[in-house]
Amino acid sequence: MRVIQSVYGFAGVLGLILAGGFTVSAQDVPDVGPHPPQPMRAMESHIGNVTGHAKDGKMNFRRYCAGCHGDLGDGNGENAQWIDPKPRDFTIATFKCRSTPTGTLPTDQDLYNSIGRGFTNSNMPIWNTFSPQQRADLVAYIKTFSARWEKEKAGDVIKIPPEPPVTLESIAHGKALFTKLECWKCHGPQGKGDGPSASTLTDSKDQPIRPYNFADGRDDSRFKCGSTNQDIYKIFMTGVDGTPMPSFADVIQPNDAWDLVHFLRTLQIHRHSKENEVLAAAHGVIPPYVEKQENNPAPAAQPENKPPSSGGH
Amino acid sequence: MRTKQMLVALLGLLLCSSLMFAGTVSGKVTYTGTPAHQKPIDMSKEPSCAKQHNPPITTESVVTGPNNALNNVVVYISAGANDEGQVPSQAVTFEQKGCQYVPHVLAMHTNQELKVVNSDQTSHNIHPLAKVNREWNKSQPPGTPPITEKYDKPEFISVKCNVHPWMHGIFAVLNTSHYDISKGGGDFKLPNLPPGKYTITAWHEDYGTQTADVTVTGNETKDVNFTFKAKAY
Amino acid sequence: MRVWAQSRLVQKLLRGTSATIAVFTLVLFVASTSQPASAFPAFARKYGLRCSACHESWPMLNYFGQKFKDNGYQLMNDRDAPIWQNPGYWPVAFRFTPFWSRESTNKVQVDTGEGTSGLQRITTTGFNYGGLDILSGGTLEKNISFLFVPSSDELGAFHFESANVRFNNLLHSPWLNVKVGKFELDSFISEKRTLTLSGAGGGYQLFHFVPVGDGNIFAQLGDNQLGVEWMGHSMDDRTRISAAVFSSTDGNPDVGYGQNSYSAFFAASHAFSAGKLGVQRIGGYALIGQAATSFLTQNGGDPIPGSGTGNKSFSRVGFEALFYLGPKLDVQVFTQHGSDNAWFGACYGDVFDTGCNNTDGVLPDGARNPTWNGAFVETHFVWNPQFTIIQRSEWVRMSQQAFADTPSNLGNIDTYVFGYRYNPFMTSRAGFAFHNEFSWFRQRGGAPDGTDLSTNSLMAGFDFVF
Repeated sequence: MRVIQSVYGFAGVLGLILAGGFTVSAQDVPDVGPHPPQPMRAMESHIGNVTGHAKDGKMNFRRYCAGCHGDLGDGNGENAQWIDPKPRDFTIATFKCRSTPTGTLPTDQDLYNSIGRGFTNSNMPIWNTFSPQQRADLVAYIKTFSARWEKEKAGDVIKIPPEPPVTLESIAHGKALFTKLECWKCHGPQGKGDGPSASTLTDSKDQPIRPYNFADGRDDSRFKCGSTNQDIYKIFMTGVDGTPMPSFADVIQPNDAWDLVHFLRTLQIHRHSKENEVLAAAHGVIPPYVEKQENNPAPAAQPENKPPSSGGH
Repeated sequence: MRTKQMLVALLGLLLCSSLMFAGTVSGKVTYTGTPAHQKPIDMSKEPSCAKQHNPPITTESVVTGPNNALNNVVVYISAGANDEGQVPSQAVTFEQKGCQYVPHVLAMHTNQELKVVNSDQTSHNIHPLAKVNREWNKSQPPGTPPITEKYDKPEFISVKCNVHPWMHGIFAVLNTSHYDISKGGGDFKLPNLPPGKYTITAWHEDYGTQTADVTVTGNETKDVNFTFKAKAY
Repeated sequence: MRVWAQSRLVQKLLRGTSATIAVFTLVLFVASTSQPASAFPAFARKYGLRCSACHESWPMLNYFGQKFKDNGYQLMNDRDAPIWQNPGYWPVAFRFTPFWSRESTNKVQVDTGEGTSGLQRITTTGFNYGGLDILSGGTLEKNISFLFVPSSDELGAFHFESANVRFNNLLHSPWLNVKVGKFELDSFISEKRTLTLSGAGGGYQLFHFVPVGDGNIFAQLGDNQLGVEWMGHSMDDRTRISAAVFSSTDGNPDVGYGQNSYSAFFAASHAFSAGKLGVQRIGGYALIGQAATSFLTQNGGDPIPGSGTGNKSFSRVGFEALFYLGPKLDVQVFTQHGSDNAWFGACYGDVFDTGCNNTDGVLPDGARNPTWNGAFVETHFVWNPQFTIIQRSEWVRMSQQAFADTPSNLGNIDTYVFGYRYNPFMTSRAGFAFHNEFSWFRQRGGAPDGTDLSTNSLMAGFDFVF
């Protein structure tokens, strides 16, 4: 036993010697890396009945997030220069995937969902291995990077009416809206992301950005902000802030929006969907939509705004 | 009681004097050197707009007048005006016409109503790239009602339409209503200034900021001129 | 040097092989047993994630890293296929560990004069380094991944630690992944990713345990095996299950003797959230199989490859768990109930003749199945992602010896390890840790004179991977 004790002693001494410049006493272990200049804001998040605390999210932010988003949350982590699209800058508090109107802060639930969903067309992984508490803590910590979270409340969650049945008429109307609202200018007549303006698009940090290519992918194709019809509905009713994708909330009626969703699904030509079944039953032909006069005061689009070719397939 | 009367009288005097002795600061903005060449805009991707401009319009990042006049410079009182709280009730209007922003530079008071109008036969998206204020991005198809917004923090905001990448404008959100945009021969005029010490700031989207301090004592017109050094690119 | 031979360190010591070899083997243990298939900065470079994103403390995986591995080294976004990488990207990393160590063994047989010998403590100190591991892995195309790990000992002799191809998400289902080649058995507590490196405490005894006098050298959880594995998991990797079938050759190609016998390994686990404590994972494993106990020879004793006969069975089953007690403290628990057929217990099966190879084909009277139970508890205190304190206590207890007259505690093992790892920097390009560790090992009746054998190791060094 005496031998063992002496060896333990030796171990400690040797550890100190070999460690040299490194601090090995646990109390003094340095927190390497820059830190927010001001003291951390006490921030909470509320997701369902889980309350997240910023102080509990800090370590996991460093562990999992800071490599890209940076220790200061400004999107300038060591990897940012290699990444496209660039990591989100939390200091400006502009977020793509929201359930709230354009220009407003997202809800805690929106941020929570984004962490767990990941961003399929970027380096942002799917962080669904965290516990709900860990994710909520990260949401709270992310909110410490911008003072906006102290001064503003999250926007009001947009209302999504129940989805009407998928019909050929609904798809046809959606196609007319796709033309009238000029979605095709960026997304292309067939939704392939090749519209006339596509090549010029930049995000709010002047980084080139591509419009979504609906035709790409198969059943595993995912939208940036989720894969359900409701998620698509949300995308064009809230806009994708920080990108060229605007909000259509002021210019499109809820039921019309659902028609547009149904048409957009048919642009995902390789994906199995109710919409594609309905279209297949009609032999793949979308009939021209006859506008009902009584419910739309907006004038019809001018001839030169027609896309160069048909949006069907 | 007497004190109160005195105060009211004093206040009245002050108000009168500020109306009676309203000074004006005016002047010219000029440049030295060679400003960047403004390129004609190719709007062929948007025929409904292209046909409104014959010959094609050019970019507007630097707009000049005769005798080296520099236009589209925001000249405003950045200190001394103390009218943050006096938000004008009438709205300012920003028009999209012929795939061009009219005016190119729109100044407004914080919290003043802003109306964005689409007079074109094509959809625009209005995307002011605010950094201090909230960044929003809205679609405005032809024939839809004006978009109404306001900004609550002073900021020079670059405005773009992602569908028509050549469209570029400026929102100058200021904490004052004492502002002007230089035009014609680079002229600007800030009238109705009560006596006091002021800092006048001139801001140009490419050439940056210049300031001048000025003291207005009474019913006078102070001449302040700004000269920017042009960048050739 | 053969991998299995190193992992049978204890056996060698037990047989009183020369002291020098014993001590050197302890050092070699550091080099070979615990390292390959570990942290992999080539993945960090590919995806731009820090080591800490996948590793609790490298090379130990956290839940995110486990999911990444279970997806076939894929994040499951659209950046997984190599076509997304810069053409100059090369999925290769290497690991090397220079260190100083002190090894001390209490009873080593030494020559004391002409024809006489005695037992004495031998203590050695010195500088050394672990071998080189070259880690190459990634995706060949979306959902087709590979791992190739040439690994050398410190003398430069290479072997292939891992060499496999994996087909992921067949039929778009995360429940259908198939791996073929040489691979690590799918225990989520991985000896290849252990945070301990020292001579007496670097490996897990239960991953290599063989009773004293037992000839079963094949049933080693800790050695990579040659076979095929099916693995399935839920989208969030909370539930994972696998089954592998492999040759009973302990992962050695071309040996032949075991190639007509097979073993299987099953593992299943489930993770669940426990509020503020964190995510907990519990599961179990079973290694069951058969291995040859005899073989034919030619040329006066050379084994004939592929001629193994007399298959006898063995099993290792247990429970494994990873408990988080808040964000900084986790506890790994691993148990084992092991059993070998009486033939192994009677010293049959060791075809490499490392000391226990009866060949007369007669099972001695009264031979029974040797059985044992064991457990270890390993605790990690993660002060921050750069500094981790490690502790492990491991115990193996024989419950039935092969022969009734064998002392009941012969071969029982106690091991205690304590150490820490400190990463002076943390990036997504390279891993670098200062490692300091002390371990103590004792086996009952393990000394040449039948008394207890104990060794201890102290090591301090730099572990780096780039």
